[in-house]
Amino acid sequence: MKKLIFLVLPLFLLAQEEIIIKIEGMHCPLCTTAVKKALKNVEGVEKVKALLETKSATIIAKEGVLDNDLFEAVKTTGYEGVILSRQHKKD
Amino acid sequence: MKRRVFMQGCAAFGASAVLLPRVSILEASEPKGETRVFMVKNSYNLKSENPKLVTKLWIPLPLQSEYQHISDIKFSSNASKAYITDKNSYQANTLYAQWDEGGDKVLELSFRVTTKERHTDFSKATASSTYPKAVARFLKPTAHIPTTGKVKELALKITQEAKIPLEKAKAIYGWVTENMHRDDAVIGCGVGDAGKAIEQNILGGKCTDISSVFVALLRSVGVPAREIFGIRLGSSKFSKACGSSDDAGFAKISGAQHCRAEFYIVGCGWIPCDPADVAKVILSEKMTLKDPLVQKVRDYFFGNWEMNWVGFNDGRDFVLSPTPTQKPLNMFGYPYAEVEDEVLDYYSPAGFSYAYTSQEKL
Repeated sequence: MKKLIFLVLPLFLLAQEEIIIKIEGMHCPLCTTAVKKALKNVEGVEKVKALLETKSATIIAKEGVLDNDLFEAVKTTGYEGVILSRQHKKD
Repeated sequence: MKRRVFMQGCAAFGASAVLLPRVSILEASEPKGETRVFMVKNSYNLKSENPKLVTKLWIPLPLQSEYQHISDIKFSSNASKAYITDKNSYQANTLYAQWDEGGDKVLELSFRVTTKERHTDFSKATASSTYPKAVARFLKPTAHIPTTGKVKELALKITQEAKIPLEKAKAIYGWVTENMHRDDAVIGCGVGDAGKAIEQNILGGKCTDISSVFVALLRSVGVPAREIFGIRLGSSKFSKACGSSDDAGFAKISGAQHCRAEFYIVGCGWIPCDPADVAKVILSEKMTLKDPLVQKVRDYFFGNWEMNWVGFNDGRDFVLSPTPTQKPLNMFGYPYAEVEDEVLDYYSPAGFSYAYTSQEKL
């Protein structure tokens, strides 16, 4: 059993999620830069791509990043975020 | 470091790609009458946290018209490619440059502008509201210029006594210059979100904010209107707030972007306006609407443009060419650059970085 935990634990620690947040307030290209920078500062967030066209940000983060931490980060840019989807990232 | 070939271009080089919105660069003639001449230089040295990634730069170039003649457009760069284009829905003249590799990303651009002050003969105004197709497009809403809801409600209230388009425009200009004020805390020229401004009663802003409200109100009551994004080049006869230079006519203009407005009256054509500079004079000169200078400026900027400024384009909420990752672009009064999907801060000349100068021929 210990052996199994030892083998699975690193996989769990390395698990990633893809989170998509809708940020309706983004209205110009510079908004995407501000949102991207804010989300990158959240612990566990590894990669962010923000797009004005879809008014959304796609986040690659370690498993377990809290919705609220992401919302708070978005709030620092003056906007509100809503989670559109959250799923385990397949390798 | 691998050195790229340094490329150069000029109007003749780009002429086949440049189909200017009003008059072609090659066909245009120098404005007649009292003119001013400026030599404008732009220097770019792009900064990024990821200098090895593909970097793209779009620079707004001036429009060609009867009130501003552009000549001697020259550029040089170590970009992988650089060319002039107007392939976008507003035919906004653009110098595009792209760097595919790491290393310095530099570009130098210069052009000559001959300007002529604009005036309007209001005696030619008609009551017609039948507009040519090219003009009628400026009745349509954009993302930041809504023409329904509270915007229309307010415009109808302001213009309830007005019967013809010119009277509507006068009433709206009067309301905007009386009720809106300049807020220096706003970054750059402001976002120009007319819907938000009117819905949330945000009546402070900068030139794009004030002009966008003016334009949205006009469009919502059937008067074609548009913003013209550009940059101040030299001294003003009214106030330093409207433009300045040293005694030799030299000006550092990296932060001198300025948005003006026009509306269309059948018989007169496009009529120049600048409600935002009325607000700027009030704030800068610590005056009120009752001060003689402000009254003079307010009267003047309804139908006239002092041409110590050059206009770039009238685009709002549109997509540049080649297509950037981030779209649409709110306005194109500043250079726009992307490093992959990341946008460089065009409101920060030092961070971006770019430096503009203007030398008036005195």
